[in-house]
Amino acid sequence: MKAVWLVTKKNVKLLLRAKGSALIVIFAPLLIVLILGLSYNTSSQFGLSIGVYAPSYTDDVNSFVTLLEEDAFTIQKYDSSLDDCIEDIKMGQVHTCISLPESLSVEDNTPREITFYVDPSRLNLVWMVQETVQGKFDIKSQEISEGLTQNILTKVAQTQTTITETSGTLSSVRSEAAAVSGVTASVRSDLAVLDLGGSTADFGSEILKNLTEELDSAKESVDKSLERLEEANMSASDKNVLRRYLTEASESLAATDEIDDNGTSTSAKSVFAGLIDELNVTRTKLSKASTAIAGATPALASSGTTLEQIQSSLDSVLASLNDISATLSAQKVTEAGTIVSPLTTIIEPVQEEGTYLNYLFPAILVLVVMFSSLLLGTTLVMMEKNSPAFLRNFFLPIRKMTFIISVYMTNVILIIIQLLVILGISLFFLTDTLPQFPNLALVLFIAASVFTFLGMAIGYFFVSEETGILASISLGNIFLFFSGLILPLEGLSPTLRSIAQYSPFVIAKNLIREVFLFSSPLQAVWVDLVIFVGYAVVLFVIILILESIMHKHLVHKFLRHHHRAHIQRDKMNKGRA
Amino acid sequence: MLVRLKEVSKEYRKRLILENVNFKIEEGDILGVIGQSGSGKTTLLNLIAGFIEPTYGEVTYLSKATNEERNLTKNLHKIKRHIGFTPQHNSFYPKLTVHENLWHFGKLYNVPSAVLKNNIRNLLNFTKLIDHQNVLAEHLSGGMQKRLDLSCSLIHKPKLLLLDEPTADLDPILQKEIIHLLQEVNKQGVTIVIASHHLDSVELLCNKIAIVHKGKVHTHGLLEDIQKPYLKEHFTIKMKHGQDKERLLARLKLLPIQKIVDNGYNLEIYPTDIQNTMNSILEIIREENLYLHDLDMRKPSLNEIFEKIATGN
Repeated sequence: MKAVWLVTKKNVKLLLRAKGSALIVIFAPLLIVLILGLSYNTSSQFGLSIGVYAPSYTDDVNSFVTLLEEDAFTIQKYDSSLDDCIEDIKMGQVHTCISLPESLSVEDNTPREITFYVDPSRLNLVWMVQETVQGKFDIKSQEISEGLTQNILTKVAQTQTTITETSGTLSSVRSEAAAVSGVTASVRSDLAVLDLGGSTADFGSEILKNLTEELDSAKESVDKSLERLEEANMSASDKNVLRRYLTEASESLAATDEIDDNGTSTSAKSVFAGLIDELNVTRTKLSKASTAIAGATPALASSGTTLEQIQSSLDSVLASLNDISATLSAQKVTEAGTIVSPLTTIIEPVQEEGTYLNYLFPAILVLVVMFSSLLLGTTLVMMEKNSPAFLRNFFLPIRKMTFIISVYMTNVILIIIQLLVILGISLFFLTDTLPQFPNLALVLFIAASVFTFLGMAIGYFFVSEETGILASISLGNIFLFFSGLILPLEGLSPTLRSIAQYSPFVIAKNLIREVFLFSSPLQAVWVDLVIFVGYAVVLFVIILILESIMHKHLVHKFLRHHHRAHIQRDKMNKGRA
Repeated sequence: MLVRLKEVSKEYRKRLILENVNFKIEEGDILGVIGQSGSGKTTLLNLIAGFIEPTYGEVTYLSKATNEERNLTKNLHKIKRHIGFTPQHNSFYPKLTVHENLWHFGKLYNVPSAVLKNNIRNLLNFTKLIDHQNVLAEHLSGGMQKRLDLSCSLIHKPKLLLLDEPTADLDPILQKEIIHLLQEVNKQGVTIVIASHHLDSVELLCNKIAIVHKGKVHTHGLLEDIQKPYLKEHFTIKMKHGQDKERLLARLKLLPIQKIVDNGYNLEIYPTDIQNTMNSILEIIREENLYLHDLDMRKPSLNEIFEKIATGN
């Protein structure tokens, strides 16, 4: 156990005394954790930049914008065109674009559609945007939903009041109708007792009628004959004879007022007398009926008045019902779905939908380029520095820059081979991306240069290969953590976020996204390109300075090492002697 | 004259490592720079190579073309073409073959391809590496690696070859092999400067010596000239048991003898003039029936001279 402790103690000492190793092995992870902890130790600031487009900025649209601004979102209004906003997403200037309708108030059963335009290649950001902005929409949606529900409830209340009022009228109508009903019943009972039935006896009326008609016809014929007789060309005697006969016939016809009951020999008078009796009876009955009717008339008049009142009341009720109907008809939003969710959100990608590979491809490329270049750059420099031929290289009549450029070239060639393989394979999965390859190749070349120079700088700075590589990996991890690939940059504090925007990884990723996913021309991303090239140039100069400093350091190290070796050899020689 | 050091001093971290060094290296010389550890000999070699700059003074190279001296520091890039340097430890790429290493360094020295091919072939023959030209350098034996290292330094046919401890860590046979190689190189007109601890090797190889002691060039010049002040011929006579030592001493004191060191039965005799004293001493030995144990008439070795300087005697 003692031996274990001793060896452990020795190991710790050795580690701590090798400054580079101590820094990287022990303090670097702590430093990374500290940086990450401080960077993401924020929850209130989202740092999202949101583009808002609306055909016109009405009060409710503006109130929604104000609602968004409350959470420290940076709002950028687009008045002219939605396309400008979408272009800005592609350029990374805004994180999402919200297309609002002219007004958020819901007028009918169609919910208001709000469209989010997002960049699907920034998967984690898409969800973050949705999570955060959706909350605001939910608030607004709830607000509108409450308004709609309140409106319905108000109308229901109004309807209830009207119905309450109408129900009084209907009660009164009901009482009046009941009174009318009583009167009507009374009149009915009065009228029910009336005997309006006549005699059922047959007075040979048909016969009498026929007879009367025949007699009348006969008499008419006789009278005509008498008239024609005067005009007839005959003698007076004949005329007299005829006149007499005709007069007798006429008189005989006049004497036919007795006809029996069977129509043969009964007297007409008796018949008429019987009729008269019957008529008298009937008159009596009618008189009674008239009396009854006279008695019922006031009641019926009263009922008529009451019925008019009822009609008036019913008109009033009808009017109320029409009001209610009108009120309810005014409620345009009648579908429960619209009332519950008056605002619907639609997510639209700013590019054609692709696979996740499409979206991840820029990041994959940058990751490959970054780690390969960093590690290769460091390894190649370390190989050269720690090579036995390092001293001989000093005596070669070539400039330092030649070595730096050759290391760079070696690295770039290897990276290009790697990229050719990756891009070649990618063509099988990402068809139709070939036209973007020239621009993509340029960006990747610059990215490879920047990361190679970074790796080389680490190589020149650190002494041992292990610590150098560890430093490269750590640097790569820092870039990765602050790239927005794992956690969105928008979650960082504003200061760190603005710094992280200038991270080579972020610039490279954005450039590749622009060029590869959105097919942007290089002119559109020239600022980032210039910054990137600037990095490469600055790093190259730094490497030159580092190389110069490190060379002096290495010379001194070599001399010290040489001196120690001599002393050791002397001691050994003396020991042998 | 090929190289001249004019009042060269070197400070490192405010500590004076070399002080006021003045000497020349003539064309065709094999100069051995010797000294104790920390004496400054490697610093001196590095100054001549241009690996480090002097704090004071200057190192100049003679340009044959213009016959003018050029400051090494200012013209390092041009002068490097004429210098070959073999550091103490092998300085080539272990993962390259012998041929690849030579080709690589030759091309970096801007040797034309045709010339380079010829140089490589000659060097491989010269260093007997021709059969191993396609072997990875790391797979060569220690001696072969040293020869390859030397070949890499000679690939561009330098005028001046600087070697730091060329025989260190080599067995005696390999040491002889390297010394022979260097002699052959020198015969081809290459001036050689060696910094070494192996004084025997240096003595065998070098015609000129610079002894560095405590940051100063104590002495430099032809080996014979350096030895002169340290000549120390002497006899050692061994007496048999029972012989009369007093009588012998009395007879010897009559001769021109500087001093006699009495070590019991061994007497070390340092005559003033060994040529004139030798016959008389040999006669006394014969008459007294003594045994001549040792007769040391050689010049002092570099090792002895160096020891004397180092110990201050």
